[in-house]
Amino acid sequence: MDERLEKALHFSNYMVTLNNQKRVLKERFREQTLYYYQGGQFTVTKELMTFVGMLVEQGNDEDIVLVDDNETPIMVKDLTEFQGEILNTYFAAANEYHAEYQNLRKNRSVEALVGYE
Amino acid sequence: MVTSKGVLVFARNNAQIDYCKQAYALAKRARKFLDVPTSIVTDSTEFLLNEYPDAEQVFDKIISIVWKEEDLAENTTLSKTENHALRTFYDGTLIEKKLHFKNETRTLAYELSPYDETLVLDTDVVICNSTLKKCFDRTHDFLIYRTSYDLANNDRSTDFERISDTSVDFYWATCVFFRKTPTNKLFFDLLQHIQENWPHYNNIFQINTPYYRNDYSFAIAIHIMNGYQRGDFAKDMPGVLYYTTDKSILWELNDTDMLLLLDKQGYSGEYTPIRTKGATVHVMNKFSLNRCIDG
Repeated sequence: MDERLEKALHFSNYMVTLNNQKRVLKERFREQTLYYYQGGQFTVTKELMTFVGMLVEQGNDEDIVLVDDNETPIMVKDLTEFQGEILNTYFAAANEYHAEYQNLRKNRSVEALVGYE
Repeated sequence: MVTSKGVLVFARNNAQIDYCKQAYALAKRARKFLDVPTSIVTDSTEFLLNEYPDAEQVFDKIISIVWKEEDLAENTTLSKTENHALRTFYDGTLIEKKLHFKNETRTLAYELSPYDETLVLDTDVVICNSTLKKCFDRTHDFLIYRTSYDLANNDRSTDFERISDTSVDFYWATCVFFRKTPTNKLFFDLLQHIQENWPHYNNIFQINTPYYRNDYSFAIAIHIMNGYQRGDFAKDMPGVLYYTTDKSILWELNDTDMLLLLDKQGYSGEYTPIRTKGATVHVMNKFSLNRCIDG
């Protein structure tokens, strides 16, 4: 095989693997941002954090009904506590995502990307 | 009142696949990650006890389900549906085997489960995190995955959208959570009716497959329970259902990590590696799963 093509194919395999790992990381981040409260499931998005932050800021922090991912209304007794929990959930997930992403970037071979050296 | 909770698995071996082995591994993982006991429904009880001497400790209950002559006389669901289809099982893209597929007992889950709250899992679900435990905290009484995530990222968006191009929404019977309620009893009775009259429902819902498949009968039953329209009889299970088809290979399985070789669509025999960390995955390649369990 032409050496140029061989090198390109080698790089192509590396890129496919890298993209796969990135995809799995992203999906894991998404899964890690799920917060479960009183039988409800909330995906912690920037929108949810902003909405909750706005309510708390306005002093509406008791007995607030939020609609979860399954369109089920959930009564939140203490919204300030809820806010703390969703922020923790989000940043724990984001920090892990960041750390794993940085690890991926350091790896320059297919074997290193999947930890099979 | 104390509510009993647990996992229920169905393991019915065929000539080459030891589903009991997968169930045994799953029970250990369910205890570790979900902190719940597992009961097994099997027609291979003797084999299970011989092969795994500590099976009675690993499993909460071993429920034997053996087709008997009396079933015919009593006209049970089992007797009417015990018609094992031959199905092609792949071990990667290059190896395929035609083996019996014994999937008829899933619809008996309500009757057989010893628990008030049951999480029914396929034996080839590899639990690597505690997400499924959240089922038991949910207020809804029936949960099932509507969507899933293909680790190979191959374009299967249409395969699992509906049970056929012109039919109803698809649901994954791989993981199902239910509480023992009158409504859920009704649902499982309906499932048995659909199963017993499969040629009819296969035709009416335009599935046109020779095989009985639990995913399809669950989808049809949910559709009927919703009043022949979309509704919220069934709600989504927590988290994400990851899966790999049997054309991919599980290469390495640790406590929470997996190394998989994903089939490259269009390039038969070529694979791309991927490592998952802390993700519960439905590994459809049963041969490679058993090899990894063996270590």
